[in-house]
Amino acid sequence: MTDKIFHWLKPLASLKLTIFCLACAIVLVFIGTIDQVHIGIFEAQNRYFKSFFLYFIPPRTTLKIPWFPGGYLVGGLLLVNLIVAHIARFRFSWKKAGILLLHSGLILLLVGQLITSLFQVESQMRLDQGETKNYSESFYYDELAVIDTSGKDSDRVISVPASQLHKGAKIVLPADSLQLVIHDYYANSALVNVSQLPSPNYPHLVLGPMAVSVPLRRTYKQDERNQPAATISVIQEGHTVGFGNVATGFPQSFQAEGKDYQMVLRPKRYYKPFAIQLIQFRHDRYAGTDIAKNFSSRIRLMDPTQHEDRESLIFMNNPLRYAGMTFYQAGFDNNDTTTVFQVVKNPGWLIPYISCGLIVVGLLLQFGMHLANFVRRRVIA
Amino acid sequence: MKRFLPWIIALFFIGWAVSQMVPHRQPPGFDVAGFGRLPVLVGGRVMPMDSLARVSLTLMNHYGAYQGLDRKPIKKQSQWLLDVMMMPEHADGDKVFEVSNPDVFALFQWQEGNGEPQYHSFNELRPFFAEISKQAGLASQIEAELRNPFQRAILKLHDALRTYIQLKNTIQVEDSLDFGKELMAFERGIAPGMQAIKDRDADKPFNQFDFEQILLFTQRYQNLSQVKYAYAIPNPTARVENERWQHLSETLLGALSTGKVPDAAQAYGRLISAYRANDVNGFNQAITDYDRYLTRTIPQQIQRPHLEFLFNSAQPFYQAIFLYAIVFLFSLFSWLIWPKVFGKSALLILAFTFLIHTAGLVTRMYLQGRPPVTNLYSSAIFVGWGSVLLCLLLERFYKNGIAGLCGATIGFVTLLIAQNLQLDGDTLEMLRAVLDTNIWLATHVVCEVFGYSAAFLAGFLGIVYIVRGLFTKSFDQVTARSLGRMIYGVVCFAMLFSLVGTILGGIWGDQSWGRFWGWDPKENGALLVVLWNAIILHTRWGGYARDRGIAMMAVFGNVITSLSWFGVNMLGIGLHSYGFMEQAFGPLLSFIIGQLAIIGLALIPQKYWCGLKANEKASVGEKKKFAAESAV
Repeated sequence: MTDKIFHWLKPLASLKLTIFCLACAIVLVFIGTIDQVHIGIFEAQNRYFKSFFLYFIPPRTTLKIPWFPGGYLVGGLLLVNLIVAHIARFRFSWKKAGILLLHSGLILLLVGQLITSLFQVESQMRLDQGETKNYSESFYYDELAVIDTSGKDSDRVISVPASQLHKGAKIVLPADSLQLVIHDYYANSALVNVSQLPSPNYPHLVLGPMAVSVPLRRTYKQDERNQPAATISVIQEGHTVGFGNVATGFPQSFQAEGKDYQMVLRPKRYYKPFAIQLIQFRHDRYAGTDIAKNFSSRIRLMDPTQHEDRESLIFMNNPLRYAGMTFYQAGFDNNDTTTVFQVVKNPGWLIPYISCGLIVVGLLLQFGMHLANFVRRRVIA
Repeated sequence: MKRFLPWIIALFFIGWAVSQMVPHRQPPGFDVAGFGRLPVLVGGRVMPMDSLARVSLTLMNHYGAYQGLDRKPIKKQSQWLLDVMMMPEHADGDKVFEVSNPDVFALFQWQEGNGEPQYHSFNELRPFFAEISKQAGLASQIEAELRNPFQRAILKLHDALRTYIQLKNTIQVEDSLDFGKELMAFERGIAPGMQAIKDRDADKPFNQFDFEQILLFTQRYQNLSQVKYAYAIPNPTARVENERWQHLSETLLGALSTGKVPDAAQAYGRLISAYRANDVNGFNQAITDYDRYLTRTIPQQIQRPHLEFLFNSAQPFYQAIFLYAIVFLFSLFSWLIWPKVFGKSALLILAFTFLIHTAGLVTRMYLQGRPPVTNLYSSAIFVGWGSVLLCLLLERFYKNGIAGLCGATIGFVTLLIAQNLQLDGDTLEMLRAVLDTNIWLATHVVCEVFGYSAAFLAGFLGIVYIVRGLFTKSFDQVTARSLGRMIYGVVCFAMLFSLVGTILGGIWGDQSWGRFWGWDPKENGALLVVLWNAIILHTRWGGYARDRGIAMMAVFGNVITSLSWFGVNMLGIGLHSYGFMEQAFGPLLSFIIGQLAIIGLALIPQKYWCGLKANEKASVGEKKKFAAESAV
């Protein structure tokens, strides 16, 4: 029985498959890097590394033709190959201890990367001097938030990811039997003055007396983000209770059953059980130059649930780690009065450390033995 | 006699190199070297005037020197800077500004050129200042990566001219006839001038002349602060680190409240007066006095500039380039005639050159107070150094001169690349905040770059395997086997260091930014090197490729490694992109094509190879050996 299984497993354990996977990985990494010039790091990650296949989409069609394995497939195959090879082919011996350690480190590294790519959440927190926030915002994703502002102490927020919004979409909200109908949706838009419209028929959404929003192509640039805009009506039990255009910075208010609501399109928010206040941002330069020497933010961390209320300093190469999140100094704005933190939540952060330890020890053991043998042989010769 | 011949040959070249490096006695006259040693703060670090001169000249032309018509440096860099700072009316006639873009020629309505770069003086460019600054203003609105050659050229010229004007106003106001006397007049006028201002504010009668004079001086020095670049005046009384050096304008405006012009500014005033009056003794005496003043007040800040001055004049990497070329030639000769004599000479010179290379590297580390690799320039220096180190180790075991040849080639090429990268400006520049961490620079970056060294060495060994196998009869089975083993060993090294380096980079990323891997171009470049080395090793372990195949793969490793090293910087995106270098694109492309051509050559069936006709017909015994090795 076991022989039969091994027979089937044999191709999966072969060294040829390893080499094939490594070669695919090289091609994948290469084109995935080159393409970053056009589509930016984030989109390249999704298309090349966090996917099973690379797709070719013939122009003017919705056809998706897979033409090359993506990161998940290559990494997955490599993982299976490594594991099966060890079960099927390798027998433990001290001579192979290095290789064994090295490969188990690699297996762990691949698993860790999978966990990271599935569960890691990256967001940003922008704080002006003195400002306090208990949420961070996504740099890439937007959400449509319907906020019930009638509560005394707190608002109730229902948020819909922007990925669900498209022309003609009907979304049932889980509260107050509200339903949203999306009449029009721009994934990216620009805010312009009415007078700047090329013609009155040019597609646009009216946001204010002078302000209109016009559709734009999706941007993939590293320093730009998409600004969505939409026309939405809110329906409660067959009656339209709210209707209007929303865009980032242009909310709509409506009332339903005597409650006040607000609709906003905004960067997706990640609320935290604690709050951070920026006390002071510093931007040090080398004497007589504009070259940045250091950026640092003095912050106050307030977490009533854990009875934490303390100051901390975040600076280059020295992030704040708290509650499974890492806050690192990513940028600044507004004449050095606004700080920007990158907030990363990665439950698998410890795995690479363990795998790295295994790999390094394995490598040193393996090549050390090689080298020792080699030198001994040479010296004898 | 023949026993000593290699030593004699080696000593000849070593002696020549050493004689080039020791400081030469100055001809009688102005103590230009003394001026070149004086410390000045530029770009956040204290450097000698000599370095300031060299860095500034690289901004102006690609020789980094003041050139005569026959392209030979006819003035020392320090002498040029001395003129710029003290006798600008002379320096304005020096042809230091290089113009090579045909569109810029056309803009100036110049007919000459013929594709050759032209050198012009400040005076010759003066009529075009308004046009240059207008065009530069237009070009600067375009993103750096998107600028066309004309826009880049005009901005470069504009920056060079601005730097030149700033240099002229470093230790004096450029239009001053005798700055020493001006300072005296200024100092004398401070007290009465301030009194006049006080009187006037209190509505009392005041001295009109004193009042106007101090107002004029103040205005003059306020204008001077518009052109701050190099901070030449030490401020020993400063409490904060950022105030230890001042620009002349700050010093003089500060003197309004103290009533006294600080010693350092006065020292420069005396120097300028003496220089302009052609008073050699006075000038040299003033240099000596100022030196003593510096030793007394800021002794800890002048050691490094002094050493850097010696380092500049010794130019260890420049000497090493020549020596590596000589090693290369001797190694080649040793395969044709006198293998023992030439082989040994080559090895001796290589070892000595390695010492010079090491000394240069260590000096740079001391000057910067940093691990060896901090920018692209220093990575080139280190890649060469690492390769030569590995070669010397290999030569210790395989005494066949092949590793020596490869080491000399890589040393030569990487130092040549470094010489070209030097033109980007100060190579000991201060590090941007992200890189300001010695632990990771010392571990991740060093491992990574050493991995490059090994990968290149394996590639060059592969080239030797292919070229010698194809074209030389001396390439026998023994050489082939040992070359094969050398390549394998070096690939192991490359794998070890690039993998450890990449992993350490991931840990740095997690420590600093909370993410282990971000698919950033530089990270991916490092990963490519790791993956390729892994493929080579697994192919060998699986017995899918023999020596020839491994050699070909190692040569392709050159392509991957050079892309990872330079290609990534051309992408101009991501955290790691520290410089967009479009000029390097052509050479990189031709290097890659060359490597592919060599791989193509290796595909010629082995029966046509001059060297190892029978090599691929491995005996049964060898096959067993392969099986044994692949099991390891």
